Parts: sequence; C-alpha cells; structure tokens
Amino acid sequence: MQISTHELKSKIIESLKLQDITPEQIDDDAPLFGTGLGLDSIDALELVVLLEKEYGIVIKDIEEGRPAFRSVRTLADFIAVKRPQ
Amino acid sequence: MSARHPVITGLGIVSAAGFGVEEVWRAVATGTGGLKPLTLFQSPRYGQNPTGEIQRDLIALGAPTRASRSDKLGWLAARDAIADAGIDLAKTGDRAGIILGTSVGGSYDSELFLTTLIKRGKMRARATRFHECSSTLDLIAEQFGLYGPGMALATACSSSALAIATAAEMIMAGEADVMLTGGADSLSRMTWGGFHSLLLVDAAGCRPFDVTRAGMSHGEGAAMLVLESEESALRRGAKILARLSGWGTSCDAYHATAPHPQGAGATAAMQSALRRAKLEPSAIGYVNAHGTGTRDNDLAEAIALKTVFHNRVPPFSSTKRIFGHSLAASGAMEAVVCVQALRHQALPPNPGFSKCDPTIGLEPVTESRHAPLAHVMSNSFGFGGNNGVLIFSKAETAQHTRAPGKVQVAVGGLGVIGPGVVTVKEITAPLPPGRGPVFSCGTLADTAMLTPNQRRRQSRLQQMALITARKSHAPDATQRVSVSIGTGLGCLEDAGAFIENLITKDEREPMPSRFPNSVHNSPASQVAIDQAAMSMNSAPTVGEVTFECALWLGMSQLAIEEADCSLVGAADEVDKYLLSIGQRWGAWNDQIKPGEGAVVASLARAEKTAVPLARVTAVRLGRYRTPFNAETEADWIASIVDLSQVDVFLSGAKGFQKLEPMYQAVAAALSKRAGKAVEHQTYKQFCGEFHSASAFGFSLAVNLAREQQRGVLLYTLSQRGAKALCLVQP
Repeated sequence: MQISTHELKSKIIESLKLQDITPEQIDDDAPLFGTGLGLDSIDALELVVLLEKEYGIVIKDIEEGRPAFRSVRTLADFIAVKRPQ
Repeated sequence: MSARHPVITGLGIVSAAGFGVEEVWRAVATGTGGLKPLTLFQSPRYGQNPTGEIQRDLIALGAPTRASRSDKLGWLAARDAIADAGIDLAKTGDRAGIILGTSVGGSYDSELFLTTLIKRGKMRARATRFHECSSTLDLIAEQFGLYGPGMALATACSSSALAIATAAEMIMAGEADVMLTGGADSLSRMTWGGFHSLLLVDAAGCRPFDVTRAGMSHGEGAAMLVLESEESALRRGAKILARLSGWGTSCDAYHATAPHPQGAGATAAMQSALRRAKLEPSAIGYVNAHGTGTRDNDLAEAIALKTVFHNRVPPFSSTKRIFGHSLAASGAMEAVVCVQALRHQALPPNPGFSKCDPTIGLEPVTESRHAPLAHVMSNSFGFGGNNGVLIFSKAETAQHTRAPGKVQVAVGGLGVIGPGVVTVKEITAPLPPGRGPVFSCGTLADTAMLTPNQRRRQSRLQQMALITARKSHAPDATQRVSVSIGTGLGCLEDAGAFIENLITKDEREPMPSRFPNSVHNSPASQVAIDQAAMSMNSAPTVGEVTFECALWLGMSQLAIEEADCSLVGAADEVDKYLLSIGQRWGAWNDQIKPGEGAVVASLARAEKTAVPLARVTAVRLGRYRTPFNAETEADWIASIVDLSQVDVFLSGAKGFQKLEPMYQAVAAALSKRAGKAVEHQTYKQFCGEFHSASAFGFSLAVNLAREQQRGVLLYTLSQRGAKALCLVQP
C-alpha cells in the first residue's frame, strides 16, 4: 500500500530533528543526501531506525537501503513494496 | 645519537587470543582467531556475533577486585610489562609516569548500575565508582608507584596509539625517563549496541580487506609497553626490545564516524611519523594496518597506503580478526604485535582475507613468513577522524628522532561558557528528586554561531565546545591547528540516553546519532571539523587535572612544530545521573555544588601572537604521594617555576572537602618558601565542582595576568592522586 509522501516527510523531519523546515519545503524527487537537506551517513542510519519503528522494515546492510534513500518518493515506494502486510 | 630516544624495554598483553606476549605471538603468527560467540552479557537483538571476549577469570589471574573490567585488564597488562622490563619503580622517584588510552572506561560496570536502577528501581551506585576513563590510570599509578606525569587519552579507536606517541613526547621533552604506556578497554553494552546501530558489525566475524568484508568484530583487552629513554635503559642494563623511532598524529576534520574517503588524515599521520623518524617510505618493511573490516575504513586506508608508499606498499596485514577490535586498546595491542614481528623477523598474517577487492587492489599477507625487518609501522584510526601512527625499529638500528625545542607560548584568545546558579529542577528531572542549586550553564546562548546541522545533531557538551572554540579562534585555513579539548566525564546526557534506551527497549529502536557523541573526543573532533583543524586532535580525561593535560598537549604540539596554533580546553556537563549519584554519596551540600561549563584558549608561539592576552610559561603534570606533604609539594613547584614570578596561588580549593586542607597547606608552604605573602585565590565558588573546573581557573589566571599584571600559579589536585601546575604571566 502506497503511503503519503507528506506523512513520510513529517516523520523524517521529526526523526532527524530537522529545524526550520516544513514538509511542503521538501520536494518529493529532490535528493535527500549530499545536497539540499545536508544529511549524512548517520542520518541514513536514523532513517533505518524509522523504517523499522514505523513500518516494520528491517535493514541489516546499509547498501540495501541506499537506492531507497535517494528521495522521499523512492523511500515511499520502497516502503510500499517492503512493508509486511 | 640522542640519549633521550624512546626505547621499549617491557611488554604486557591480555587478549581474547591469549595472555602474555608469547601466547599472543603464537596466536598471531598462526593466524588463530580469538573470536567466539559473545557470553559476557545478553544481547536480545544482536545475539552472539563473533567477539574477541576474554573468557578467563581475571581475579584468579591476580587482578584487583575493586576495579572496573577495563581496570582489571589494564592492571594485568601493566603488571606483566613492568615485570618484563625488570624495572624497580621505587628507584625512579617521580621520573616514571603513565599515559594510557581508554575509551570505554568503566562503562560495562556502570551499565550494571543503570540496568539495576531501570529494571529494579534500586540504586547501586558502587558500580559507578570506576566509571571514569582515568580510573585505570589512577589504579595502576597508585599500585605500582608511578609518580611522574600521568594522562589518559580518549580518542576512541586511536587512543592508545596517541597515548604511546604522547609518552614518547614526554620522554623526548625530558619530563620523564620511563613511561608505562598503552591502553585498556573492555566490552560494553554501549559500544556493542553502538556499532551495531551503525550497521558496522560483520555477523560472520570481521574479514579485513576481503572483497566480501561486511564490518568489524568487537573485542576487548589491554596492552602495556615500558617506554624508556635510551639513556635510562642503558644505565640500568635493561634489554632493549625495540625502538619507537617515529610517531605521527592527525585529524581528518571530516566526519564524526566516517573516514575521509581518500584517507587524507591517515596519509598525513603516516607521513608525519616518517618525518619524525627521518625515514624514507621504502625503509618500512611491514605495516600493521588499522584494517577494521568495514568497507569504508579498509578502502580509505588502502588509498592512503598507496599514496604514502607511492604504489609500492610494503607487506601489510590487519590482526583484527585475532583480537577483535579492542577499541582504545587496539593500538597498544598492535604495538606488541609490531615489536614481536621485529624480534622474530616475521610477518603476521591477515586472517579473514581470501579474495582481493578490486577497488582496493592490494593483498595483505596471507601466511606468516620470515622477512628481514628493520622498521615497521602501525596504524590506528578512530571516530572523529583521529589518527595515530607509530614506527617501531629493531633495537640495533640507529635512531634520528629529533627532540623538541623550547618555545614561548602566548594565549591569543579565550572562549568561556560559564555557569550561572540555577536550581536542579531546571536541568532535567533528577532521580531521586534533587535539592539545592547547581552551577548550570542552562540553555546555551550564542547557538546562532552554530550551523543548523550542529544545532540539531550535536549535544549540549559539543555545542559548548564549538562555541567556546569559535570565541577563542576564528577558523583560518592558512594555519595548522591542533585541538586538545579534554573532558572528565564526557557527554553524559547522550551516553546516558543511549544506554538507557538499550536497556529499556532491549536494543530495539537504537539511537545511531547519539552513539558517536558518547565518545570523549566528540567535542574535540567536532571543533576540528568546524575549524578545519587537521593537526593532532586529542581528548585527555584525568579527573580534576583534565584541562592541564590538554594544555600540556597543545604546548607540546607548538614545541615540536606540528601546529601553528593549538586550541586547548575542557568541557563537562551535568546530567540527572551525576546529580543523583553525587547525592547518594553525599558529595553535594551548601558549600559544594555541582557545576559544568567549557573553556577553550587559543595558543600560539609568543612571537606570532599579535595581541597576547598572557603568556603560559610552565605546565607540568605529576602525582602526589600519600600521606600528602605540603613541603614536598612546595619543593616540586619551586623546582619548576621561579617563585619570584608568582604573585597569586590559584587553587581548586572550596570544592570537595578532602582536598581543602591540602590546598591550604601548600599555599602556606609556598609563601614561606617564596619569602613573601603569595595571595591564595580560588575559583570554585564561581563555577562549582566539576572535572573541568581548573579550565575556569585558567581563564581567571589569564585575566589576572592581563588586567593586574600579576604572575599566577594555577595548582590543581585530583581526588585520585594526580596533580598539575601551570604558570600564567603577563
């Protein structure tokens, strides 16, 4: 089941303690890492925790998550596919 | 040949692969791993991943009972190293000191306290008595009689390499003839849960440099070296096992956990060690790599090796699968491996490796073999991009390490976050409810100086260090900057929250961004990133004399010309556990209140400081004897500083009761010795009692020197036996 990218953005903002930013300011297709939000490898690990806590998806190797962490949209798609039913 | 060259005359080691140098070397030479399923504690989530756990009864082997697990490991290795050196320490007076690398400290034991508190609501504060990283140092120094300079360095996985380098520096500077040096770290739930939360642990056991490598394996242990000036070794007819001919340190100033992708800091540290040893890269016959088995480390290290050795990389191997990654102890354990490789003229293999990684393009030594070795190198890299590289040479080789020069050092800038008095309730809900005021910094002002990422990710302690460093020094890319920011107890809030979370949630929902903050060098390494400071980066932790250790390290970097500017300081914070444990012990009362804060000073050579605030003309570390003798202390002070230059004696009095009469007696003895009334001033009434408080004393000393043109002697005692002095002059 596809999840709303707006909901996902709110969760990312909360989990990464992003300051002075609203879900509306994050583009669905903008890169999450490298530029833009200024996230790094430790933020990726926080997203791993978020995926498990909120959606029951366990990632044991960060390489597994790498394609999913490209943008909010790729992450939402990843969740839709991997989420336990 | 200089008589002050550091040589190695004794070794001691305890590890999962064996006890004692011989047993360990047999394991190393045959590539027999010590990794076994974890049994020390239950890990509900991560199970029993292969671990270098020591499964022998440490007490039965002679370790003291009143000590943390790390202390016991360190004590056993120290006992063996001292016996191996055949040295009578009673004859060394205060010329024998100790510098250790410790990172986990008493965490394993403190976690038992927290588990009992959280799960059963019972406060068993005794287990936290050995919590501090300097506990191992104090225990060993006290028991074996090491009254020279003492220091514990906590730069995560490079700690003991930095400790050995600093011990060598102490000997070269003539401040000690003998240094017991090395490191000790036990397994702990915090580091276990921490590295797992970073997805850095290989469930199949680490496979350094292999194409399929998938992370590190935990380990624990201790190793100690007796390092001695050549003159001292020859005088007492000691057998020289090997020489420590070069050492180099650097900081990536890149990221809290990830190495610089091109291995820039690793390259700089190896090159610095070669320069120090006056050796060409081609002289190195073997490299004991850091080689943790993580994808990023091994790749970055391989790139650095190719850069340093111009693509002619000597035989190298990682011995991490033999010991597990013993964090702060690993540099010292691998130093033992290097010395043994030289003595046996043999290359240690790299168990865990089977197939070459094309992105690395290098193959480590796969089977032990004979090789003529004159010089070998050992790499250690830690969180925060802290790098330490050591070069060991055969006893018979000529050594050309240069000695440091004398420099005049000035304070160019000073940043202080001082506490105001607030009530306990304003910090965090303490357990049990606390009473009375605390010297807290409250909500930090000046956070506008920080970047959004620093504000969201760095804990309060790191933010205090970042702000004070910025106030003391504006980042300047043309300068080589070293950072030494000590901390007595480190980032209590994040370490506490991380462990609390592991316990309450059975390792579910870990906090990967809190773990890197929990290492004591996180304030120093964050400052390095902020200031692009790529020279030595260190975090001393030695109770009340923590700041003076940082000062010594920063001044030493200027003397050996490895830095143009040294940022030196200390930071500590109050948290709910510190408040409640102190309350249980009756530490706090109407006169003695807990405090916190940060001070960073920027130092440079006096002739290069445009507007000096004051000069620092002496700094010395040592250890006092029991029973305490004020006359002996006055002798010690008079042997280092010219008393006619001392107008004010600034002490850590008005803090813990035990030290009060000692400070008063030394003040009186000093006035008598100086033949004039030296005014006794104190600072703890302004800042409260905490490990970094003498950093506030230092800022007060700088102000007295500047405003009143007076010479100030800052004299500090720790509750567990360390002492320090520093002289600040106009």
